[in-house]
Amino acid sequence: MSEPAIGSGPGRALLAVYGVFALAAGARAAVQIATRFEEAPLAYALSAFASVVYVVLTVALARGNRRLALVACGIELAGVLIVGTLSMADPAAFPHATVWSGYGSGYVFIPLVLPVIGLYWLLRRK
Amino acid sequence: MRRGGEGDGTCQYPTGHASCHGDVPVIGPLATGLIVLALLIMLSGIVTAVRNRPMGTVILVALGVLEVGLLVQAGFAVAGVIGGEGAGETATLIGYLAGTLLIPPAAAFLGLAERSRWGPAVIAVGAFAVCVMVGRLLQIWHGTA
Repeated sequence: MSEPAIGSGPGRALLAVYGVFALAAGARAAVQIATRFEEAPLAYALSAFASVVYVVLTVALARGNRRLALVACGIELAGVLIVGTLSMADPAAFPHATVWSGYGSGYVFIPLVLPVIGLYWLLRRK
Repeated sequence: MRRGGEGDGTCQYPTGHASCHGDVPVIGPLATGLIVLALLIMLSGIVTAVRNRPMGTVILVALGVLEVGLLVQAGFAVAGVIGGEGAGETATLIGYLAGTLLIPPAAAFLGLAERSRWGPAVIAVGAFAVCVMVGRLLQIWHGTA
């Protein structure tokens, strides 16, 4: 390996945080979609999408796939900004919370800070 | 330990509502104990990381104890659900129970693989997640989510 691994050192802690979010968002989306998808299809589909992004990031960090991690981190940042803004602008469209609504306010704004830290980590080591 | 049930006047719902079938007596104290233990593990993880040491045996053993406690809690909760207790939201409850069980082994695996200060940092992250999830579990169990 010519490049330092992205999944060790501080990257390992990042991997742990993404793993927790993959688990939390994934389980939440699975329950929402399985039990009451028709109540808020958009919000629940977004929950599922967010959880997929977190899973991809966890795997990319664990396997040291920098490009995949960068793309997923970019999508994550875009997602939290877009969904956060939409949920503020039109709360009626998001009657049920997702990980990204209100810029991740339901998760003490970690979803907003996480992609910034992730991008910093991935780009700094390049 | 309060046992919310029909006729004791503590129930905000009509008689027979799922939320009022009360607590398996052990869930509350056990969950509180688990939260305290997870907080202690989180603190020792942070302290170890700040002191720039890799994680040691004490944290590993504590994670093992935490996992056993979580298994016991899952056992009681599942038994309670089968017995008709708990405040609805069974799918969510099971999700949290299963999720909490995964975290200590995963954190131990990651933390042991990382022989730097970031190993105990991983443990702190995992322990914090367990705190939050057991807290949510209690809320779901009592129907106060």
